[in-house]
Amino acid sequence: MREIRAGRAPASLGAGFPPDAPFALVEKQKGAMRLAAVNRAALELGLAPGLNLADARARLPDLGVADHDRRADALLLEWIADGCDRYTPMVALDPPDGLILDISGCAHLFGGEAGLRADLVERLQRLGLQVASALGDTPDAAHALARHAGDRLEALPVEALQLDQEESVALRRAGLKRIGDLQERPSQILSARFGEEAADRLARVAGGRDIRITPRRAEPALLLERRFAEPIGRTEAALAAIADLAAEAVHRMEESQRGGRRFEAQLFRTDGLVRSLRVETGLPVRDVPLIMRLFDERLEALADPVDPGFGFDLVRLSVPGFEPLAPLQLPLEGGALAEGELAQLLDRLSTRLGRGRVRRLAAQDSHIPEQASLLFPAIETPPAQDWPGPEPGEPPLRPTHLFDPPQPIEVIAGVPDGPPQRFRWRRHLHEVTLAEGPERIAPLWWRRADNGGLARDYYRVEDRHGRRFWLFRHGLYGRETTGPLWYIHGLFA
Amino acid sequence: MSGTPAFAEMVAATNYSFLRGASPAEEMVAAAVAAGHAGIGIADRNTVAGVVRAWSALRDARARLAGEGLPDIDFRLATGTRLVFVDGTPDIVAYPGSRHGWGRLTRLLTIGNRRAVKGDCILCLDDLLGHLDDLLLIVMPGGEGLRLGEEGARLHPKWQGPMAASFFQSPTPSPWRKPGPMSLATIDGVRVEEPPSGASSKPSRAAADMGSGLRRGDDCRRALVLLKEAAPDRVWLGLAMPYAGRDRRWIAKLARLAAGLDVPILATNDALYASHEQRRLHDVVSCIRLGIRLDEAGTRIAANAERHLKPVAEMARLFADYPEALAESIRLLERIDFDLEQLSYEYPHEPVPDGWTPQAWLEKLVADGIGWRYGAAPAQAVFDLVETELKLVRKARYAYYFLTVHDVVRFAREQGILCQGRGSAANSVICYVLGITSVDPVANKLLFSRFISEDRNEPPDIDVDFEHERREEVMQYIYRRYGRHRAGIAATVIHYRPRSAVREVAKVLGLSEDVAARLTSTIWGSYASKMEERRFHETGFDPGNVEIGRLNMLVGELLTFPRHLSQHVGGFVLTEDRLDETVPIHNAAMDDRTFIEWDKDDIDALGLMKVDVLALGMLTCIRKAFALIATHIGRQYTLANIPPDQPDVYDMLCLGDSIGVFQVESRAQINMLPRLRPRELYDLVIQVAIVRPGPIQGGMVHPYLRRRSRKEAVVIPSPAPPHDPGELVDVLGKTLGVPLFQEQAMKLAIVAANFTDSEANQLRRAMATFRNVGTMPRFESKMIEGMAARGYPRDFAERCFEQIKGFGSYGFPESHAQSFALLVYVSSYIKCRYPAVFACALLNSQPMGFYAPAQIVRDAREHGVEVRAIDVNHSEWDNGLEALPHPSPSGERDKLALRIGFRQIDSFREAWAKAIVVARAAGRFGAIEEIARRAALPRRAIRLLADADAFRSIGLDRRGALWEARRTPVGELPLFAAARARELGEEPDAMLPAMPLSEHVAADYQLTRLSLKGHPMQFLRDVFRREGVLSCREVAEGRNGRKVKVAGVVLVRQRPGEGKAIFITLEDETGITNVLLWARIFEVQRREVMASRLMVVEGEIQKSEEGVVHLMGVRVHDRTAELGRLSEDHRTEIELSRSDAFQHPQLPRDHEPRGSRHPRNVRVLPKSRDFH
Repeated sequence: MREIRAGRAPASLGAGFPPDAPFALVEKQKGAMRLAAVNRAALELGLAPGLNLADARARLPDLGVADHDRRADALLLEWIADGCDRYTPMVALDPPDGLILDISGCAHLFGGEAGLRADLVERLQRLGLQVASALGDTPDAAHALARHAGDRLEALPVEALQLDQEESVALRRAGLKRIGDLQERPSQILSARFGEEAADRLARVAGGRDIRITPRRAEPALLLERRFAEPIGRTEAALAAIADLAAEAVHRMEESQRGGRRFEAQLFRTDGLVRSLRVETGLPVRDVPLIMRLFDERLEALADPVDPGFGFDLVRLSVPGFEPLAPLQLPLEGGALAEGELAQLLDRLSTRLGRGRVRRLAAQDSHIPEQASLLFPAIETPPAQDWPGPEPGEPPLRPTHLFDPPQPIEVIAGVPDGPPQRFRWRRHLHEVTLAEGPERIAPLWWRRADNGGLARDYYRVEDRHGRRFWLFRHGLYGRETTGPLWYIHGLFA
Repeated sequence: MSGTPAFAEMVAATNYSFLRGASPAEEMVAAAVAAGHAGIGIADRNTVAGVVRAWSALRDARARLAGEGLPDIDFRLATGTRLVFVDGTPDIVAYPGSRHGWGRLTRLLTIGNRRAVKGDCILCLDDLLGHLDDLLLIVMPGGEGLRLGEEGARLHPKWQGPMAASFFQSPTPSPWRKPGPMSLATIDGVRVEEPPSGASSKPSRAAADMGSGLRRGDDCRRALVLLKEAAPDRVWLGLAMPYAGRDRRWIAKLARLAAGLDVPILATNDALYASHEQRRLHDVVSCIRLGIRLDEAGTRIAANAERHLKPVAEMARLFADYPEALAESIRLLERIDFDLEQLSYEYPHEPVPDGWTPQAWLEKLVADGIGWRYGAAPAQAVFDLVETELKLVRKARYAYYFLTVHDVVRFAREQGILCQGRGSAANSVICYVLGITSVDPVANKLLFSRFISEDRNEPPDIDVDFEHERREEVMQYIYRRYGRHRAGIAATVIHYRPRSAVREVAKVLGLSEDVAARLTSTIWGSYASKMEERRFHETGFDPGNVEIGRLNMLVGELLTFPRHLSQHVGGFVLTEDRLDETVPIHNAAMDDRTFIEWDKDDIDALGLMKVDVLALGMLTCIRKAFALIATHIGRQYTLANIPPDQPDVYDMLCLGDSIGVFQVESRAQINMLPRLRPRELYDLVIQVAIVRPGPIQGGMVHPYLRRRSRKEAVVIPSPAPPHDPGELVDVLGKTLGVPLFQEQAMKLAIVAANFTDSEANQLRRAMATFRNVGTMPRFESKMIEGMAARGYPRDFAERCFEQIKGFGSYGFPESHAQSFALLVYVSSYIKCRYPAVFACALLNSQPMGFYAPAQIVRDAREHGVEVRAIDVNHSEWDNGLEALPHPSPSGERDKLALRIGFRQIDSFREAWAKAIVVARAAGRFGAIEEIARRAALPRRAIRLLADADAFRSIGLDRRGALWEARRTPVGELPLFAAARARELGEEPDAMLPAMPLSEHVAADYQLTRLSLKGHPMQFLRDVFRREGVLSCREVAEGRNGRKVKVAGVVLVRQRPGEGKAIFITLEDETGITNVLLWARIFEVQRREVMASRLMVVEGEIQKSEEGVVHLMGVRVHDRTAELGRLSEDHRTEIELSRSDAFQHPQLPRDHEPRGSRHPRNVRVLPKSRDFH
């Protein structure tokens, strides 16, 4: 049994920050910014997690600070756990910063338990982690020894039992400060005062009582695998095996009227390396050719091709989760599949070209016309923002076409904010017959260094020939400028 | 201005439309005057909280013009409100046309306020229809309204339940909405299309918009129709040009609607701020209101900067097609025949019995009081003074005021609640004979100031302090006596302070929490009046940085904006008529409380009467002490019969022995005592007032001390001839020619700088509140030049003004100091003669005062009081006194021992303590389980008692008791418990090791924050001795100039005044040492000072000639870790004093008790961050 605690390497905390300077990660707890973790230098200067950031700053004005990212920590821990798969399949997370490995029967490859521990610690240290590790007969014993930096269980403090704070204090008040103090005394005096659970904890930590760890990998909704007696050396053969597995998966999904949006194929090499291929779709699917086409495309898009090495001895296909997908009713006239086909096309294009290369427009909440829409990857679910509808009885306020950038025009208009009377655009003079405005849109001052900028006065105008334009005066006459420039920004249908 | 039509902006909001308006009322008025408007209508959202400010700004401006002999401005102010409804009715701006109309308006708002939670208001059109009298109304189409249940219109819990159900289920969300008297269709002959209802299963957003658009138009028409019918000729339709593109089309449509209904249209800009430059601030406050960042605000904030007050010519240009709309604004303004001045005021008549006039009744009470206070033969001086004062009262017709205060005080006295008045009118002999105060003004010659200003037409000022634990009884009495419709607590306007402004603006600008925290952490205290650039530098931010510069700019603009209204701590406004016809009333956050929406400045400005019912911890302590003396010693004391001028009491104070004594217990006060050497009550008056920012900043302290100790001649500055050379003798004589009190500063302005009464009054107002600090420079030159012109030395004039500025941050008038001085004397008397009683009463009145229980107990022991530990067989909830078996003959002071009560145990409950005392009446407890059973205590209570080492009398120490307590069954029937107890008894001996004394002390500190067994330092003495560290006593006895090291636990750190020096008080087992650290040294050793609970300081002993010893610190070492030596298990938690500047930042008190946290709730680490 093994327990690892991952510390952070200062180098990962911020570029340019001296590694020996005091540093802390902070997060908001109970309404205040508090230290969540500190480096060694900060610890030596008396800072500790839980301290209010302002108090810490009061003591150390130069304290380096970054936001605590628990998600990144969890990901890091997962990533380390992935790496530990090489030692044993029984890896459990002990969040936020620990791992427990059940190495029963696994140590012989590393020359025994000590060899395995040394190998692991060295690897992790090479990643820049500070590691505290311990070997124990039970997970609890390993946990206690690693966290309280001991090698003899009886010398560990009673806190190693992980009782309530209040109970730990009570034991200390009684003068029973070490695990050994408890072991020496009849167990009923402990259970009479602290309950059976305390006695049980003691047994699990120091008495050899074992409980199984819960391995970390969550059961996927569907997991299919095929083992080969002889390793197969060709990637195509492995893919063919995956296609078989996919067919079986689709069959099962049909039964339950469900589909999958994510599929993962894992190719296990005999030497222990694993290659994973993950594909996802915008809508739930259960279509074998589609799934396999996505896998093919993924394979082609890989920067480093899959090297079978000494061959694969196991392939695995997993579907992490299902989503409802009703059975398809093919329409007689053949048109109703368009939505599904479009989604498939998007999936294929996005997979092949990259998710950022296929995009769609979405409405944005902004007064600035050219910022009121945004392009984003088509495969993502569009933001909930709806396109603003026109008010009833109102003419369209925005043109169908926007010039990017707006084109300068020459205009004759009254001051300070009269509508244009005629304007010259592309050497052509337009006589304005109808105009409405101005619609005044002031600049986003907070994006500008001078906190200012020029407002725009927009007019919807119609010329003698019934053509409708969207023009604006850039800068308010008198207040912002004395010679405002004019632009045409769009055309109405 | 020929050619330009007349116009007045009738729809102007101020920043009392919280987080919507972006300019103060004063600025709106000034901008309207500057823009050439004929007047302005101030209308905030469902409130009139801001109108008094606009009104008094205009009044002051007029007074200033008159004072300078300039012509008056032709400008009218309309004060009203913008009614915002929950039933879809468009906003309606309402102005009262008469005093009666004002009463209807405030009652309407009161109805809306009382339905809603604090700060919100729920109104429907029907409510307005019921209060239409004399209201002039502008319907404003296109407002966003309010939605019931959401921010701004949340129902008060009282109204929830069936009422709420009817609110929410109603298809049109108005329970009050009844069908109008006419159907809409009959009016314009056009059937208004019904909004789509249920026909389409899934209405698109456009359809929903269409529906609401139609409803909005519908609601506008409906409101106009109903109001037109109910109040013909008093309704206008307000039209604005928001530059939304379709303005003209929109206005044409509305104008047609108005013409069809025969409603005049009125041009307005629906102004939210004074000038277009406030758009940025308006965007920021909008974001604060919506809780969003600017960069995500999108169309939720305004598109442009057009909602400012526009010049008349500009308005005329915009509304060129509707000249009549401009003219209507003037017509509306001229219809208004109401000014806030008309809120004529009548005091409640209650206290006067039938058949008496108030003056006669007051005179009768005074006559009775003279006999009561002065006995059969009072001195002639008393009669003379009474007569003078009564004449003044008659002239100003203030009899009701004195009678009202007397009535409240009489109630308190009947209930045995200790109280004392203070304030300008409280110096009067009338107050003394009525029992409002206890300082005899004749005997103490407190004739210094006029107690009522004859020429300032404003009410007298009496604040009454009550015991802090029982003030609520007095407040409820006032509600009972005068009724909630006639009594209300004044509001306190909560303003943005640097801290909150930085935090909120930073959030809106998208700066990280860390940046905001860093910036706010630099603000010392939280009352810096502006963010100084230096502060930014200190945090390592460059104010030149665009982001930081933007933040700086916006914070500067937002500072001093009102944020919300809250209730004043105890200022009651009482009226004879309905209060809600003078000012709207709100629900307070507290149950059973209501408050009005004007604060004390507004009340002052309008001349309303306010009685301040304040809470004072020391009164609780003194009352408890009096009760203990009566019980244990058998002597009856009151505030008035404490023997005056006792030399031993003053001797004690002269030594600086004043821990726990009212007001003079801070470090600075303790240091001042031996220098001032008080010998009579007036010395205490000066003592209380002198250690204040005013006299300190004005450089008045040292001159006063030098003159007092006769090192400097008393010279009272004289003006040059022809002025009376002795004109300041009256003003400054009593304080040896040095102005120390606020009244003196005022009088200096009048006598020496020739201020008119009205100017002096403005100066007083500017002094009273830092918010008006901007007006101070104007007074500065006037005062200094005025004094210089009369021949006073310029530097004297400058110092006087410096002092006035100091009063701005903490004014301390003589009239308050006098009342406080009596409490100083009374508490000193108790401490001197009955130290055990004093400590006991002080502990039982916590939280109050400067010191933590450990220091109070220690001080008592140093004064020879035997202190006994908490014990289940002896203690009660409160700390108590026990008779000593063999009292020494020397006097009462040695008769009593102090028994610590259960209340000192952290998180122990009063009910448990009561249960123990009740169960104990049947006989002593012999075992833990017996206590648990007889007193039915829960397990937690038993464990806390064991942990507090309270079982010694049954032969168990802490460890044994805890071990036993953990298995003691609770909540079982006695029979079973007995059976089980036998079973329990068979357990093998656990052979627990004995607990060392140091661990006991550490645990004592953890549980009760004090230990009678020892001091943490005594266990570390050997360690420090080896390092050559002296004890505190050795430092006190060391010679001047000696370089020493001293160690101790940190009691308090203070940074008074401008922060040039840090005071640290260290304590060890032998006494205390006061360390003084210059700011320069502090900055280098910041971490050590801020983090240490146990500190070693190297420095030089400095002894003053009065015997005050300081250690001038050079180096500070953090040795907190040594506390771990006491016990590896229990952290010795050293509780800082309540006055520690770092842990308990002092807010400006405004004569109010601090809302500081209970020190027992303060855990180990400092929570505050006020200092950098």
